[in-house]
Amino acid sequence: MTRIHMNPNEFDVIIIGGGITGAGTQRDCAMRGLRTLLVERSDIATGATGRNHGLLHSGSRYAVNDAESAEECIRENRILRQIAAHCIDGTDGLFITLPEDDLGYQQTFVDACRKAGIGAEIIDPELAKRLEPSVNPELIGAVRVPDGSVDPFRLCAANMLDAKLHGGQVRLHTEVTGFIREGNTLKGIHTRNHQSGEEADYYAPVIVNACGIWGQHITELAGVKVGMYPAKGALLIFAHRVNNMVINRCRKPSNADILVPGDTVCVIGTTSTRIPFEECDNVAVTPDEVTLLITEGAKLAPALSQTRILRAYAGVRPLVSADNDPTGRNISRGIVCLDHEQRDGLKGLITITGGKLMTYRLMAEIATDLVCQKLAVDKACTTAVTPLPGSEEKSYEAVAQKVWEAPTTAQKAAASRMGTRASRIRSSNRYDDDLICECEEVSVGEINAAIERMDVSTLTDLRRRTRVGMGTCQGEFCACRAAGLLAKAHACIDRERKDLADFLQERWKGNFPIGWGDTLREAEYTQWIYKHVLGI
Amino acid sequence: MGGGLAGMMAGIALQQAGQNTAIVSQGQNALHFFSGTFESLQAPPVRLAELLSAAGIRVHYREGVRLMPLGTFKEAALSLDDIDLFPVPRFGKRVLIVNFLGYHDFFSSFLAEGLENQGMECRIRFLNLQELDNAKANGEMRSVQIARSMDRIWEKVVQEIRLLLKDEDTVILPQVFGLSDVTVPGRIRQAIPARVVFVGTMPPSVPGIRTQILLRRRFQLLGGTFLMGDEAVRAHEYEGVVHSIATHNLDAHYLEADNFILATGGLFSKGLRSNPFQISEPVLDLDIDHPEDRNDWYNPTFSAEQPYMGYGVKTDEKLHAVKKGEALKNVYAVGSILGNTRPELGSGAGLAIRSAFAAVDEILRSAQNDKSAQNGKEDYV
Repeated sequence: MTRIHMNPNEFDVIIIGGGITGAGTQRDCAMRGLRTLLVERSDIATGATGRNHGLLHSGSRYAVNDAESAEECIRENRILRQIAAHCIDGTDGLFITLPEDDLGYQQTFVDACRKAGIGAEIIDPELAKRLEPSVNPELIGAVRVPDGSVDPFRLCAANMLDAKLHGGQVRLHTEVTGFIREGNTLKGIHTRNHQSGEEADYYAPVIVNACGIWGQHITELAGVKVGMYPAKGALLIFAHRVNNMVINRCRKPSNADILVPGDTVCVIGTTSTRIPFEECDNVAVTPDEVTLLITEGAKLAPALSQTRILRAYAGVRPLVSADNDPTGRNISRGIVCLDHEQRDGLKGLITITGGKLMTYRLMAEIATDLVCQKLAVDKACTTAVTPLPGSEEKSYEAVAQKVWEAPTTAQKAAASRMGTRASRIRSSNRYDDDLICECEEVSVGEINAAIERMDVSTLTDLRRRTRVGMGTCQGEFCACRAAGLLAKAHACIDRERKDLADFLQERWKGNFPIGWGDTLREAEYTQWIYKHVLGI
Repeated sequence: MGGGLAGMMAGIALQQAGQNTAIVSQGQNALHFFSGTFESLQAPPVRLAELLSAAGIRVHYREGVRLMPLGTFKEAALSLDDIDLFPVPRFGKRVLIVNFLGYHDFFSSFLAEGLENQGMECRIRFLNLQELDNAKANGEMRSVQIARSMDRIWEKVVQEIRLLLKDEDTVILPQVFGLSDVTVPGRIRQAIPARVVFVGTMPPSVPGIRTQILLRRRFQLLGGTFLMGDEAVRAHEYEGVVHSIATHNLDAHYLEADNFILATGGLFSKGLRSNPFQISEPVLDLDIDHPEDRNDWYNPTFSAEQPYMGYGVKTDEKLHAVKKGEALKNVYAVGSILGNTRPELGSGAGLAIRSAFAAVDEILRSAQNDKSAQNGKEDYV
């Protein structure tokens, strides 16, 4: 590709969507030498990427019904453990059989797992109780599988960071308002920045639509039709890490039958409800869903019925109907890559959708292969063997020891979040170690590092990158402190005051569906403090 | 039951009137995040003024506005002396805002922006004090840690501020002064040749904790019994009269009394309790009116009035607590456990004080009646 005298708004490929699929695709394209631009109308991981279990599937869940997905999962599972070590907690998982379940299913399940190449091992229920003390003690069967947990925010940020280290450009809070079109060819995009109001055009011979469920809107803008079926999944986050291993039910996949530990919390989910497309931007969790999640969750780990719930949230799966099936009955949960040139005669647009968090890298590889084919670039994919920035070391303890001689617990927490990038946290004076968020142990230095290098413009952006405000107090104390640092970095107090109000609103949105007990106590306190003491 | 503002006010007033009073207090209470302004109270009733003054708590009154920690102004009237009240949201031309290096709970840049919007010029300076390293060594720098250091070194801080001061007419300082000595804020005001305005920090509130300490001291000085770190768990009631309560620490040694005041606070203070189906009162299981459908408890907008914050225990016109539709004859509910079931009594600190005094008056009146009834009986005999 010729690199001189290029218009700075011209790229080889434009990726629309800052979720994990978009970030992964940008990384892959950038690593193959393409000049990339990623645009995202909001922040990273705001859609389905950040609104799921954070489960590092072993593939077992799909083994019986969908062998192809199961094989994809276990392959990607092994790859992610290598390339994204700092985003992953290899906890292993259990598939438990309860007295009300059919124990006969266990063998079918194990056989299917083995066929897909998943190391599934039947273990004595007594051993399962020792391995995972929180598990329902009534269990009559247990299978151990290589499940784990993955931090989707961290994974998404690391992909985007690597794309940038390979020359990629990222425009967050920038929405595509239309396409630049010549005949049957898309030449570029019109965009508008939601924060500055600035409008800009960008050009590229290939545009990748990686917007998950919102991809339908993008294809509409381009004048082509893709049938998507939004399916809402509701989840609850508990305030403690009740379980150390993923716990699943050994039966046909159903509602609320996966409990995943993640960092300091655990997550139960999910439900599956078809919703109208218009509701995708504002999905709410209903009291009935909350009741179902708690009741079913307590069957996996009885302690859940006594554990404080931190938040309720919901994501929207981007299910796509098969092209030859206008009724939408034949919906695929697998990866869908549409070449709109072949499919609709529209040059310059590719849609990559379907799939799941687990298979993002493979989706990115498929999309990038197609991009390269269109650009006549002959470069092999290397994302499966190249660690993400931060994952060069396998254990966060080793990272922490390298960066700080005698790391504190807060520094270990930082290393677990940032991996080897933790060495970039400035510790130039004695105040950089001050804690801003006490629940999640996030320091001034880590927040400043995120503000400086990770495209943070709001408190909610900061939360996705550092876990500020994700802990027990849900931002009650740290939001103000972090707002102080953001205000300083951006030198715009007025915006920051509004940002603070938005942040509190966002937290409340996930709190009121579960507003009772300690959650309501905390909410009352927060409401009192911000209104009467701080005067916002 | 309850050692917050309502409980302390009632305890002191009763003890003063010769009633032998005990207060059972969990420890922390709403005074720990007191803003310093007594909401919904205008000029202090003489009785309140006398009570506070006897306890050594300094208040002043003026209808105006006060400066809030994030740089906004809010209407305020009766307040602790720590809080400055202004007729208009502007009080000087040039302002020096002083913070401590590494202290994140005082929002100097927000303050500066708020004041600049009102046409004031601001300069922010950070003091770098060796002495605060000790506070830091014992944990994070929070208001109370700093206040403990300031108790020792406030005079040195005043010297540093005098050196920093150029042509400013006003100095803004965080409210971390005079935790153990109520006279310190006044002495700082005298020692600095500019107007000194103290502005709130993230909780805990230093003036609030000081107020709590002074109220407790006053109550104990009057002979009251203060049971710290304990809570009422159960009441023993027969035919609408409570005879005794059990507390967590005293086990089977019940506390007996002629009258009981329930001042255990709202949800946060655990005076009220909630589960997915109902909001309840844990000591006496008093009546609380609230919608059955949990969806109606909340407003999805964070900053809007929240219905759940208004739910409280039912009372009769004399603040007798109501259980299963019947008013308990010798139990009074006061303070935020009332929610906004008694809007005529105000909210926040105003509600705490008004309802506490109303309950005390009722107890004294009924004690008087009993006494005269008894006297009458003796005469008759």
